[in-house]
Amino acid sequence: MQRRLLHIFRNTPFGRETLLQSVYFCKKVKLELAIYIPEFAKFLMYFENDVVQVDLDRSYLTSPDTALMNASTIVGQGDLEAEFLEPKDFPASSLPALPINFDYMSCPRSISDRSSRIGFGHIGPKVRRLVNAARFPVLMPSSAYKEWHSVAVFFGGAADAITALRLGLHISTTCNMPLDIFTQVENDSRDTYGEAIKDSGLDGEVKNSVREWHRFEMGKLDDNLYAVPHDALVVFGTYGHHPLKQIFFGSKLERICAALPNNFLVVGPKHLART
Amino acid sequence: MSFFVHWRHPGTWKLFRLDDRLLLIIFGMIVGVCSGIASVALNRSLAAMLEWLHPFRHIWWGFLLPGLGAALSSIFLNKIMKEGAGHGVPEVIYSISRYRGLLRFRTSFSRLISSCLTIGSGGSAGPEAPVVISGAAIGSNIAKLFSLNDRQRVALVGCGAAGAISAIFNAPIAGMVFSMEVILNEWSAVNIIPVGIASVAGTEISRILQGNQIPFSHHQFNIGFLDITACLGLAIVTAIASILFSRMINYVHHRVDKVFLPAWVRAAVGGCVVGFLGFFLPVVLGEGYTPVRAAIEGTFTPGLAIVGLATLGKIVATALTLGSGGSGGIFAPCLVVGSFAGLTYHRALSLIWPHVAWTSEGCFALVGMAGLMSGVLQAPLTGIFLIVEVTGGYEVILPLIIVAAISTTICHYVEPASFYLQELVERGPIRRPRTDAGILANLSLKELVDKDCIRVTQTMLLRDFLQAIKESPNNCYPVEDEETGDFLGMISLDDIKPYLLRSEMYDAVPIGQIMDIGPVVASPDDDLSEILGRMEAQYLSAIPLVAKGKFIGMLAKATVLEHYRQELIAQTRHLKT
Repeated sequence: MQRRLLHIFRNTPFGRETLLQSVYFCKKVKLELAIYIPEFAKFLMYFENDVVQVDLDRSYLTSPDTALMNASTIVGQGDLEAEFLEPKDFPASSLPALPINFDYMSCPRSISDRSSRIGFGHIGPKVRRLVNAARFPVLMPSSAYKEWHSVAVFFGGAADAITALRLGLHISTTCNMPLDIFTQVENDSRDTYGEAIKDSGLDGEVKNSVREWHRFEMGKLDDNLYAVPHDALVVFGTYGHHPLKQIFFGSKLERICAALPNNFLVVGPKHLART
Repeated sequence: MSFFVHWRHPGTWKLFRLDDRLLLIIFGMIVGVCSGIASVALNRSLAAMLEWLHPFRHIWWGFLLPGLGAALSSIFLNKIMKEGAGHGVPEVIYSISRYRGLLRFRTSFSRLISSCLTIGSGGSAGPEAPVVISGAAIGSNIAKLFSLNDRQRVALVGCGAAGAISAIFNAPIAGMVFSMEVILNEWSAVNIIPVGIASVAGTEISRILQGNQIPFSHHQFNIGFLDITACLGLAIVTAIASILFSRMINYVHHRVDKVFLPAWVRAAVGGCVVGFLGFFLPVVLGEGYTPVRAAIEGTFTPGLAIVGLATLGKIVATALTLGSGGSGGIFAPCLVVGSFAGLTYHRALSLIWPHVAWTSEGCFALVGMAGLMSGVLQAPLTGIFLIVEVTGGYEVILPLIIVAAISTTICHYVEPASFYLQELVERGPIRRPRTDAGILANLSLKELVDKDCIRVTQTMLLRDFLQAIKESPNNCYPVEDEETGDFLGMISLDDIKPYLLRSEMYDAVPIGQIMDIGPVVASPDDDLSEILGRMEAQYLSAIPLVAKGKFIGMLAKATVLEHYRQELIAQTRHLKT
């Protein structure tokens, strides 16, 4: 069956930009688009070992009478067909449960808080929970519609980075776009990263498909991020740290999101590599 | 470091690798303790709130209190916690039926607070369902924290419910039976053991923190043959009351849902009406255990008409409280209505046959409680064991069994689903584990569909078609549009039979002419049970799966049954060990 991307539609100018981005992503990666136009300010997603309640901010319910028309117009302009989801399961009368059998989900950096905070690189708590619980990668579109012409994978050598690299390679091949790897060399030696790729069996593919591997041995991560092309789809994996750890030690995800205006594809710890 | 990695995966610990039941016993105990604490917390909070608000009830504006409590409860539940309101128990059953017992963390405390506001202010509801959902959510979240599997999570949800009921009534057997009969709906040994342990843990916590008291005092009753015979009539009375009770709550709920007002306003109005009713019939307010105690002890003085009116009044008050959006359960109101129904029946008997030496009216009140609970929940064992335990005596066991059994049977005849399941049945089929619907829901269409079937086009000639399918084992083939690839129909061997012996037709007949253009199809969004129903109705052995006008693959009944068998083996494997 065809791979699908789930998009939660927000009937606002900001929502239009994210839907445009989802349409572009679907066309490039050859996905079907499933759109959910919320009727209630919350919904549930039942994952394998977790249930996530997404409390949407009120802007998601703006002008419900024009939402379907606006979404259809945007999708039509992109020369794509979309399936409009109608939830079948209601654990409570005003609380629908959305299916989870998707291959990607598009989600702004914050889904429950004010979108003005996105400019500061803020990643909303619900988006974090979705990334942590979902088996599918989450696409976090940039605030304004922006086409991408290459794929940039952040590779730190750990298991989550291998999964991200695998996904990056898949997307690069499907879209026929160049792929760059970015590594901030930390405590490990330079060779450790190559060995990690070799152990995962991706060395051949990396050799054939990767345009350039940027290894930063000097400087801080924030300084080196300037090298990332502005028109690249940034793919990276995340462990899903405990919230307390995030409060005390900060989050690399948030630092990257604050510095880069790009589109992100985030691979959570539960993601099954189905590339 | 490895300790920190593994502590959340106790299934990998050496101790539990020996026997997975040991893991469930230990976690069942932990869940039982937590549920017990939740129950005691709610009990104590309710007592404190009732005591605090007691002086205000006699003031003229006292009728506003239940309205205020219900409004606050609704605001808390809907605006702060962002939960959908509900009685609690249906949500737990729904989560087991559809989502392998997954419950949100916030549920483990939200209903405790909201029900405390509703009941403490005088709303007519019980605290049992809120503690059941809290206990169940505690079990579910402990299972999540320790990465337990689906079966273990469902067992812990049952443990949470059992621990909560055991603690709130100080009745371990009733808690265990309630969990097995109502929540889990299965009596496997694998579940009984942890659920039993959770019941004991919950009860012990309650006894340590509140003392070993039974909710209703123990009395000796001399029950004769005539009393047992009279219980047949009581069973009919409680069955009628049960049906009235369920229907009234559902009726008010559906009517109020259509009122175009904010949820908290609806709850406030419902609460105020209950408060107004309470001015004339104070026994309808709150959980109502005080008049139940009086009824059992034989000190409930009002006459037959007032008791009958109180029965109806309690039903109306509960329907208004819960139907308008207040938070709470139906356990306690069931007990109150049942005891009043028993009392009414006893007094009517005494009026008609004043010279017969009937047993004490307290006995009829007790039996009435079991009858109503069995009728509403359609769970006779829960009704029987709860009454036996909360009164601490076995003298009434015979009339209890008779009334509970007959009341359940009559109610089941009139209302095929219990009060808890009525709401769920409206939302779709209940998929209990190890039932047909439950097993089919676990099968994914993706793994069942056969995509490697031969596809033909409408312009293909019969000769080419015969050549193409020469070595194929299938009987049906999808026909697609040559240019667009759209699904046009199906061609089966039956369709080509008339032409098989006429070889001159082989080069004259295109497939488009003889194919079936309106075959029964399935969509990837359809329920597997629905698809199977369609196949049964049309006597089909396979059905094409079509999405957005494109053929995806064939779904064969034989493949479904093979996967069904494998899934059933996987789901019942633990029962054999």
